[in-house]
Amino acid sequence: MTTICSNQQALNSPLAKKLSEDQCRKLYWACLEILERTGVQLFEQEAVDLLKKAGAHISDGNRVRIPAGLVEKAFATAPKKITLCDRNGKRVIQAGGHQSYFGTGSDCLNILDHRTGERRQAVLKDIEEGMKLCDALEHIDFVMSMFLPSDVPQETLDRYEMEAMLNYTTKPIIYVTTEFSGCMDAVKMAEIVAGGPDALAQNPVAACYINVTTGLRHNKEALQKLLYLSEKGLPFTYIPSAQGGVTAPITIASTMAVNNAGVLAGLVISQLKREGAPFIMPGWGGNMLDMRTTIQPYADPEKRGQAIDFAHFLGIPTFGLAGCSESKLVDEQAAAEAALTLFTDAIFGGNFVHDVGYLESGLCGSLPQLAICNEILSWLDAFMKGIEISDETLCLDLIDEIGPEGQYLDCRHTLDHFRERWYPNLFDRSSYDGWQAKGGKSLGERAVEDVDRILQEHKPEPLPKDIAKAVHKVTEDAESKI
Amino acid sequence: MANLQDLTEAVIKGDEDKIKLTILELLNAGTPAKEIMDDGLIAGMNIVGGKMETEEMFIPEVLMSAKAMSAGVEILKPQLTDEENAASGTMILGTVQGDLHDIGKNLVKMLMEGAGFSVIDLGTDVPPAAFVDAIKEHNADIVAMSALLTTTMPKMKETMEAMENAGIRDQVKVLVGGAPVTENYADEIGADGYGYDAGSAVRIAKEYMTN
Ligand code: B1M
Repeated sequence: MTTICSNQQALNSPLAKKLSEDQCRKLYWACLEILERTGVQLFEQEAVDLLKKAGAHISDGNRVRIPAGLVEKAFATAPKKITLCDRNGKRVIQAGGHQSYFGTGSDCLNILDHRTGERRQAVLKDIEEGMKLCDALEHIDFVMSMFLPSDVPQETLDRYEMEAMLNYTTKPIIYVTTEFSGCMDAVKMAEIVAGGPDALAQNPVAACYINVTTGLRHNKEALQKLLYLSEKGLPFTYIPSAQGGVTAPITIASTMAVNNAGVLAGLVISQLKREGAPFIMPGWGGNMLDMRTTIQPYADPEKRGQAIDFAHFLGIPTFGLAGCSESKLVDEQAAAEAALTLFTDAIFGGNFVHDVGYLESGLCGSLPQLAICNEILSWLDAFMKGIEISDETLCLDLIDEIGPEGQYLDCRHTLDHFRERWYPNLFDRSSYDGWQAKGGKSLGERAVEDVDRILQEHKPEPLPKDIAKAVHKVTEDAESKI
Repeated sequence: MANLQDLTEAVIKGDEDKIKLTILELLNAGTPAKEIMDDGLIAGMNIVGGKMETEEMFIPEVLMSAKAMSAGVEILKPQLTDEENAASGTMILGTVQGDLHDIGKNLVKMLMEGAGFSVIDLGTDVPPAAFVDAIKEHNADIVAMSALLTTTMPKMKETMEAMENAGIRDQVKVLVGGAPVTENYADEIGADGYGYDAGSAVRIAKEYMTN
């Protein structure tokens, strides 16, 4: 488990900030102004009704203008910390503040097959192997499905994804479903595993990733999911996708204002439905469309940092985005973009940081790339720790005892402490000859071997047979309805 | 004295005023409208298309050119014969049923309009029957469908079937695109063409109109 946390000890562990408190306030007021003046369009009647009852202004049936006071009130009940459990109910993630956890992304259409080097459509087996790998990788704290299975009925693909995640890892899950019915089925599966609805609400093993059309246009499924999960007290992200230059103005400030106006609208609805509903907001801000290639870039430097600052200002846990790349290969670009993005999210203090291992702007995934990201996270875990300056660590007596001419290799103090220092696993530190003697392999080649070894050796704890059967029944039932 | 070269350059620069002025000058000088259209405006947009594919021009610049060109087309339209006008083509465009992704579709729309197509945009979440109705109503030449989800791609096929059942499949060319859609899939469902991005979609649509 990663213990990355920026700002752990005042002025003693790494911490970065882009926005000042006053800048955050100005941005927040801009969101409030958009909500009061322009308003949002909500394509779900229950959400409109809830807001109307609370005092919002409704026009044209579903255009809702939300007064600032309702937003302020929502902050009083929204949790500042969100817990996720592993499959055995152990409370392994306490996300909030500057505490960072890392996980994969979902639904890549393609996989860069590490056995053949070929880019092909992903299948269910890839998700199973991906989850097995995640289960073994020390610095992957939660999982998303990684791939989209092309070999199952597409109407129920989200049920297959959830089932594979529950079966092949014990780590906490963030699931994505195409429609509302899939969300209810994912909850059903999680309830079976947790031991019932109450047990799940108390020790949630899974959170839902909800996408919203844009900051100001909220689609029906997104609101249905939000209302359903709020009522059950289960955690979810609420991520509108305002895209600078397309569905929002191109400037970062403005894209963030439009997007976060939508986030705050969601927050208000969730707290109106049920006070205390666990709500997670986006940890990136100022998405753009690459105006040369029409790709939505994931590793864009300019969208990083400020949204985490803003969320810290508001006191709402974030869904970060890092460890991803625009590259088509597991190459130098992929490693550089993964490292830089993971570094920024760690140092700013994003909470649930997802999309680790993504290539090709979210359309392709790779198991060796994920293994490389795990190594980067191991490096970051070491980097982010504060430094202890104490009598024991300074050991002035020892310095005096050894004197200018001695050495420390065979000292007890060295033996006691040398294992505290960080050692790489995949990164190579051999001498040239030593590296050649080990085969003279590149990082990519070593990562492929590591993945092969893990897939062969690692045996994730299986779900009890009857539970696995009951979970599968949910998929079968969904299938029989199509 | 203005010439067609000036017009082409004004299109590349996206200079709407210059385009309008140059067209009026050329018309006054007796240049046939068809020639102004083909060798001035369309020639300019073709260069813009090329520059977009080589990533020399960015999308907002391309759209500026496209918009400026449309303003020019408006002036020329009354001067063209019905036959010449029809040559530009009518397109029905939409994101298929169940799918809300519209950014790619909107790009396709703007570039198609820039290339001179008259585009009927049905929006997102468009049921097969709505495509069929629109084809009939507008006597369309091309139907363009966008899908971003593997779960909604089958709706492309259903829409093709609905066109078949309505007996209008042969009247139109069908063009498909979107991130999960592939050339193979387009073949499989019997579509006429596949555009991997908005620029290539325009290129294919233009081929349909010249053939
Ligand atoms: C007719 O001829 C043509 C010819 C060419 C055509 C064409 C038609 N249409 C497109 N083209 C081509 O030309 C365009 C320009 O060159 C290109 O268009 P594109 O649309 O590809 O490119 C755009 C210019 C920019 N790209 C985009 O706009 C899409 C980017 C990604 C990140 C994306 C976005 C932004 C969104 N999403 Co969605 N989304 C993803 C996308 C991942 C990706 N990298 O593609 C994808 C497609 N989404 C996915 C998912 C899972 C979902 N999304 C959803 C929602 C959303 C948002 C609303 C948040 C937002 C869309 C906002 C909007 N107004 O459109 C949900 C579905 C909602 C629904 N019912 O539609 C939801 C199910 C998530 C959820 N649980 O809520 C994944 C696919 C799943 C699948 N089953 O296939 C996905 C690959 C991301 C991922 N890796 O998980 C070409 O494809």
